[in-house]
Amino acid sequence: MSNLDVRGMACPLPVVQVKRALESAQGELRVLLDDGAPRENVKRFAQGRGYQVQEERLEDGIAFTITGPGAAAAPRQVVPAEAGGATVMLIGTDRLGDGPEELGRLLMKNFIITLLDMSELPDRIFFVNSGVLLAAQGSEVIEALEGLGNRGVEVLSCGICLDFFKKKELLAAGGVTNMFTIAESMLNARSVVRL
Amino acid sequence: MIKDGDYVAIFNSIHRVMEAERLLKDKQLKILLIPAPRALAADCGLAIRYAEDVRPEVEGALAEAGLLPRDSYRKNGDTFEKIGEDNEQP
Repeated sequence: MSNLDVRGMACPLPVVQVKRALESAQGELRVLLDDGAPRENVKRFAQGRGYQVQEERLEDGIAFTITGPGAAAAPRQVVPAEAGGATVMLIGTDRLGDGPEELGRLLMKNFIITLLDMSELPDRIFFVNSGVLLAAQGSEVIEALEGLGNRGVEVLSCGICLDFFKKKELLAAGGVTNMFTIAESMLNARSVVRL
Repeated sequence: MIKDGDYVAIFNSIHRVMEAERLLKDKQLKILLIPAPRALAADCGLAIRYAEDVRPEVEGALAEAGLLPRDSYRKNGDTFEKIGEDNEQP
Protein backbone atom coordinates (compact mmCIF):
# COMPACT_ATOMS: atom_id res chain seq x y z
CA MET A 1 0.00 0.00 0.00
CA SER A 2 1.23 3.51 -0.83
CA ASN A 3 0.68 6.42 1.53
CA LEU A 4 0.07 10.08 0.81
CA ASP A 5 -0.53 12.99 3.17
CA VAL A 6 -2.21 16.03 1.59
CA ARG A 7 -3.41 17.66 4.83
CA GLY A 8 -2.91 21.39 4.89
CA MET A 9 -2.76 21.67 1.08
CA ALA A 10 -5.02 24.15 -0.69
CA CYS A 11 -7.37 23.06 -3.46
CA PRO A 12 -6.78 21.74 -6.06
CA LEU A 13 -3.43 20.37 -4.86
CA PRO A 14 -4.95 17.41 -2.98
CA VAL A 15 -6.63 16.18 -6.18
CA VAL A 16 -3.48 16.73 -8.23
CA GLN A 17 -1.32 14.83 -5.72
CA VAL A 18 -3.81 11.96 -5.49
CA LYS A 19 -4.02 11.79 -9.27
CA ARG A 20 -0.22 11.52 -9.54
CA ALA A 21 -0.10 8.90 -6.81
CA LEU A 22 -2.82 6.82 -8.47
CA GLU A 23 -0.94 6.93 -11.77
CA SER A 24 2.07 5.29 -10.18
CA ALA A 25 0.50 3.37 -7.27
CA GLN A 26 0.61 -0.38 -7.08
CA GLY A 27 -2.36 -1.73 -5.15
CA GLU A 28 -4.09 0.40 -2.55
CA LEU A 29 -3.44 4.04 -1.85
CA ARG A 30 -4.03 5.47 1.63
CA VAL A 31 -4.53 9.22 1.67
CA LEU A 32 -4.70 11.49 4.69
CA LEU A 33 -6.61 14.67 3.95
CA ASP A 34 -8.58 17.50 5.51
CA ASP A 35 -12.32 17.44 5.88
CA GLY A 36 -14.42 19.76 3.72
CA ALA A 37 -13.57 20.62 0.12
CA PRO A 38 -10.44 18.39 -0.16
CA ARG A 39 -12.43 15.39 1.10
CA GLU A 40 -15.29 16.00 -1.31
CA ASN A 41 -13.11 16.81 -4.32
CA VAL A 42 -10.76 13.85 -3.92
CA LYS A 43 -13.66 11.46 -3.36
CA ARG A 44 -15.53 12.76 -6.43
CA PHE A 45 -12.39 12.57 -8.53
CA ALA A 46 -11.49 9.01 -7.50
CA GLN A 47 -15.02 7.65 -7.76
CA GLY A 48 -15.46 9.42 -11.09
CA ARG A 49 -12.57 7.36 -12.40
CA GLY A 50 -13.99 4.11 -11.13
CA TYR A 51 -11.98 3.76 -7.91
CA GLN A 52 -13.51 2.58 -4.65
CA VAL A 53 -13.03 4.91 -1.71
CA GLN A 54 -13.25 3.73 1.88
CA GLU A 55 -13.42 6.53 4.38
CA GLU A 56 -12.23 6.66 7.96
CA ARG A 57 -12.58 9.65 10.26
CA LEU A 58 -9.44 10.48 12.24
CA GLU A 59 -8.87 12.91 15.08
CA ASP A 60 -6.98 15.22 12.75
CA GLY A 61 -8.64 14.69 9.41
CA ILE A 62 -9.89 11.94 7.15
CA ALA A 63 -8.22 8.83 5.77
CA PHE A 64 -9.21 7.39 2.41
CA THR A 65 -8.24 3.95 1.27
CA ILE A 66 -8.49 4.03 -2.49
CA THR A 67 -8.54 0.79 -4.42
CA GLY A 68 -8.24 0.45 -8.16
CA PRO A 69 -11.08 -0.20 -10.53
CA GLY A 70 -9.25 -3.01 -12.33
CA ALA A 71 -6.80 -2.92 -15.17
CA ALA A 72 -9.35 -2.71 -17.98
CA ALA A 73 -11.00 0.36 -16.53
CA ALA A 74 -7.84 2.05 -15.37
CA PRO A 75 -5.41 2.59 -18.21
CA ARG A 76 -4.08 5.64 -16.39
CA GLN A 77 -2.82 3.39 -13.62
CA VAL A 78 -0.62 1.34 -15.85
CA VAL A 79 0.52 4.08 -18.20
CA PRO A 80 2.33 6.76 -16.23
CA ALA A 81 1.53 10.18 -17.65
CA GLU A 82 5.14 11.01 -18.46
CA ALA A 83 5.55 7.69 -20.29
CA GLY A 84 3.09 8.58 -23.02
CA GLY A 85 -0.42 8.62 -21.59
CA ALA A 86 -0.98 12.31 -21.09
CA THR A 87 -2.97 14.80 -23.09
CA VAL A 88 -1.39 18.22 -22.75
CA MET A 89 -2.89 21.56 -23.62
CA LEU A 90 -0.60 24.51 -24.26
CA ILE A 91 -2.25 27.92 -24.04
CA GLY A 92 0.13 30.60 -25.28
CA THR A 93 -2.19 33.57 -25.35
CA ASP A 94 -5.07 35.08 -23.43
CA ARG A 95 -7.10 35.30 -26.64
CA LEU A 96 -8.57 32.66 -28.93
CA GLY A 97 -8.05 33.13 -32.64
CA ASP A 98 -7.11 36.13 -34.74
CA GLY A 99 -9.41 39.10 -34.88
CA PRO A 100 -10.71 41.78 -32.57
CA GLU A 101 -9.01 41.66 -29.17
CA GLU A 102 -12.27 41.87 -27.23
CA LEU A 103 -13.78 38.95 -29.15
CA GLY A 104 -10.60 36.90 -28.75
CA ARG A 105 -10.59 37.35 -24.97
CA LEU A 106 -14.27 36.49 -24.77
CA LEU A 107 -13.76 33.33 -26.84
CA MET A 108 -10.84 32.17 -24.71
CA LYS A 109 -12.84 32.70 -21.55
CA ASN A 110 -15.73 30.82 -23.11
CA PHE A 111 -13.47 27.98 -24.20
CA ILE A 112 -12.01 27.45 -20.73
CA ILE A 113 -15.40 27.53 -19.05
CA THR A 114 -16.76 25.10 -21.65
CA LEU A 115 -14.00 22.60 -20.81
CA LEU A 116 -15.83 22.03 -17.54
CA ASP A 117 -18.64 20.39 -19.50
CA MET A 118 -16.35 17.93 -21.27
CA SER A 119 -16.21 14.32 -20.16
CA GLU A 120 -12.61 13.91 -21.39
CA LEU A 121 -10.22 16.50 -20.06
CA PRO A 122 -6.55 17.14 -20.68
CA ASP A 123 -4.20 15.85 -18.01
CA ARG A 124 -2.32 19.13 -17.94
CA ILE A 125 -2.83 22.66 -19.11
CA PHE A 126 0.28 24.81 -19.47
CA PHE A 127 -0.10 28.56 -19.69
CA VAL A 128 2.76 30.42 -21.35
CA ASN A 129 3.34 33.97 -22.56
CA SER A 130 0.17 36.08 -22.15
CA GLY A 131 -1.73 32.86 -21.42
CA VAL A 132 -0.52 33.15 -17.80
CA LEU A 133 -2.78 36.17 -17.37
CA LEU A 134 -5.69 33.72 -17.41
CA ALA A 135 -4.41 32.10 -14.22
CA ALA A 136 -3.58 35.33 -12.39
CA GLN A 137 -5.65 37.54 -10.14
CA GLY A 138 -8.17 39.57 -12.10
CA SER A 139 -8.83 36.77 -14.59
CA GLU A 140 -12.44 35.75 -15.01
CA VAL A 141 -11.64 32.07 -15.44
CA ILE A 142 -10.15 31.42 -12.00
CA GLU A 143 -13.34 29.70 -10.87
CA ALA A 144 -13.29 27.51 -13.99
CA LEU A 145 -9.59 26.66 -13.57
CA GLU A 146 -10.22 25.66 -9.96
CA GLY A 147 -13.07 23.47 -11.18
CA LEU A 148 -10.73 21.80 -13.69
CA GLY A 149 -8.14 21.34 -10.95
CA ASN A 150 -10.71 19.64 -8.79
CA ARG A 151 -11.35 17.22 -11.64
CA GLY A 152 -7.69 16.26 -11.77
CA VAL A 153 -6.37 18.63 -14.43
CA GLU A 154 -2.97 20.03 -13.54
CA VAL A 155 -2.98 23.75 -14.24
CA LEU A 156 0.53 25.12 -14.54
CA SER A 157 1.87 28.54 -15.50
CA CYS A 158 5.29 29.39 -16.85
CA GLY A 159 7.34 31.09 -14.12
CA ILE A 160 9.33 33.26 -16.51
CA CYS A 161 6.11 34.53 -18.06
CA LEU A 162 4.53 35.34 -14.68
CA ASP A 163 7.71 37.23 -13.81
CA PHE A 164 7.64 39.13 -17.12
CA PHE A 165 4.05 40.26 -16.58
CA LYS A 166 4.79 41.01 -12.90
CA LYS A 167 2.19 38.46 -11.86
CA LYS A 168 4.43 36.09 -9.90
CA GLU A 169 2.83 37.01 -6.60
CA LEU A 170 -0.63 37.16 -8.16
CA LEU A 171 -1.03 33.60 -9.41
CA ALA A 172 -4.58 32.64 -8.45
CA ALA A 173 -5.06 29.17 -9.97
CA GLY A 174 -2.74 26.19 -10.28
CA GLY A 175 1.00 26.15 -9.83
CA VAL A 176 4.19 27.46 -11.37
CA THR A 177 6.35 25.43 -13.69
CA ASN A 178 9.48 25.76 -15.81
CA MET A 179 10.36 25.20 -19.44
CA PHE A 180 12.02 21.87 -18.70
CA THR A 181 8.75 20.42 -17.42
CA ILE A 182 6.75 22.00 -20.24
CA ALA A 183 9.09 20.65 -22.94
CA GLU A 184 9.31 17.21 -21.37
CA SER A 185 5.55 16.92 -20.96
CA MET A 186 4.91 18.00 -24.54
CA LEU A 187 7.46 15.61 -25.99
CA ASN A 188 6.17 12.69 -23.95
CA ALA A 189 2.50 13.43 -24.37
CA ARG A 190 0.07 11.25 -26.25
CA SER A 191 -1.37 14.39 -27.76
CA VAL A 192 -0.76 18.11 -27.50
CA VAL A 193 -3.51 20.65 -28.07
CA ARG A 194 -2.07 24.08 -28.75
CA LEU A 195 -4.05 27.29 -28.58
CA MET B 1 -20.25 27.45 -12.96
CA ILE B 2 -23.95 27.99 -12.28
CA LYS B 3 -24.99 27.42 -8.70
CA ASP B 4 -28.46 26.72 -7.45
CA GLY B 5 -30.36 29.99 -7.26
CA ASP B 6 -28.10 31.79 -9.77
CA TYR B 7 -29.69 33.69 -12.64
CA VAL B 8 -28.78 33.30 -16.30
CA ALA B 9 -29.67 35.93 -18.88
CA ILE B 10 -29.51 34.90 -22.54
CA PHE B 11 -29.20 37.47 -25.30
CA ASN B 12 -29.98 37.15 -28.95
CA SER B 13 -26.77 38.57 -30.34
CA ILE B 14 -23.11 38.60 -29.50
CA HIS B 15 -23.06 42.40 -29.73
CA ARG B 16 -25.85 42.81 -27.21
CA VAL B 17 -24.31 40.40 -24.72
CA MET B 18 -20.93 42.13 -25.01
CA GLU B 19 -22.56 45.50 -24.57
CA ALA B 20 -24.45 44.21 -21.54
CA GLU B 21 -21.25 42.79 -20.04
CA ARG B 22 -19.44 46.13 -20.51
CA LEU B 23 -22.34 48.04 -18.95
CA LEU B 24 -22.58 45.78 -15.90
CA LYS B 25 -18.82 45.68 -15.39
CA ASP B 26 -18.63 49.46 -15.60
CA LYS B 27 -21.11 49.48 -12.75
CA GLN B 28 -18.84 47.01 -10.92
CA LEU B 29 -21.61 44.44 -10.57
CA LYS B 30 -20.54 40.88 -9.90
CA ILE B 31 -21.48 39.11 -13.12
CA LEU B 32 -19.77 36.63 -15.41
CA LEU B 33 -20.12 36.08 -19.11
CA ILE B 34 -20.44 32.32 -19.61
CA PRO B 35 -21.35 29.91 -22.39
CA ALA B 36 -25.13 29.56 -22.42
CA PRO B 37 -26.08 26.20 -20.89
CA ARG B 38 -26.84 23.63 -23.58
CA ALA B 39 -30.27 23.06 -22.14
CA LEU B 40 -31.16 26.68 -22.87
CA ALA B 41 -29.48 27.49 -26.18
CA ALA B 42 -28.71 25.17 -29.05
CA ASP B 43 -26.47 27.66 -30.86
CA CYS B 44 -23.16 28.83 -29.48
CA GLY B 45 -24.84 31.36 -27.29
CA LEU B 46 -23.51 33.40 -24.44
CA ALA B 47 -25.15 34.27 -21.21
CA ILE B 48 -24.60 36.50 -18.23
CA ARG B 49 -24.61 34.82 -14.85
CA TYR B 50 -25.49 36.74 -11.72
CA ALA B 51 -26.57 35.95 -8.18
CA GLU B 52 -29.66 36.91 -6.23
CA ASP B 53 -27.87 39.63 -4.26
CA VAL B 54 -27.19 41.73 -7.37
CA ARG B 55 -30.36 40.84 -9.26
CA PRO B 56 -32.17 44.18 -8.82
CA GLU B 57 -29.11 46.17 -9.91
CA VAL B 58 -28.35 43.92 -12.89
CA GLU B 59 -31.88 43.77 -14.21
CA GLY B 60 -32.45 47.46 -13.51
CA ALA B 61 -29.31 48.49 -15.36
CA LEU B 62 -30.15 46.30 -18.36
CA ALA B 63 -33.69 47.64 -18.54
CA GLU B 64 -32.53 51.22 -18.25
CA ALA B 65 -30.04 50.74 -21.08
CA GLY B 66 -32.57 48.95 -23.30
CA LEU B 67 -30.53 45.77 -23.12
CA LEU B 68 -33.12 43.35 -21.86
CA PRO B 69 -32.08 39.74 -22.40
CA ARG B 70 -34.04 37.48 -24.72
CA ASP B 71 -34.75 35.09 -21.86
CA SER B 72 -33.85 34.86 -18.20
CA TYR B 73 -33.71 31.76 -16.07
CA ARG B 74 -33.10 30.79 -12.49
CA LYS B 75 -31.19 27.58 -11.73
CA ASN B 76 -33.31 25.31 -9.62
CA GLY B 77 -31.64 21.99 -8.91
CA ASP B 78 -30.97 20.30 -12.25
CA THR B 79 -33.37 22.50 -14.16
CA PHE B 80 -33.69 26.10 -15.25
CA GLU B 81 -36.86 27.92 -14.39
CA LYS B 82 -37.83 30.63 -16.85
CA ILE B 83 -38.50 33.99 -15.26
CA GLY B 84 -40.31 36.95 -16.78
CA GLU B 85 -41.59 37.35 -20.31
CA ASP B 86 -39.84 36.93 -23.64
CA ASN B 87 -38.04 40.10 -24.62
CA GLU B 88 -37.34 39.75 -28.31
CA GLN B 89 -35.01 42.55 -29.36
CA PRO B 90 -33.81 43.47 -32.83
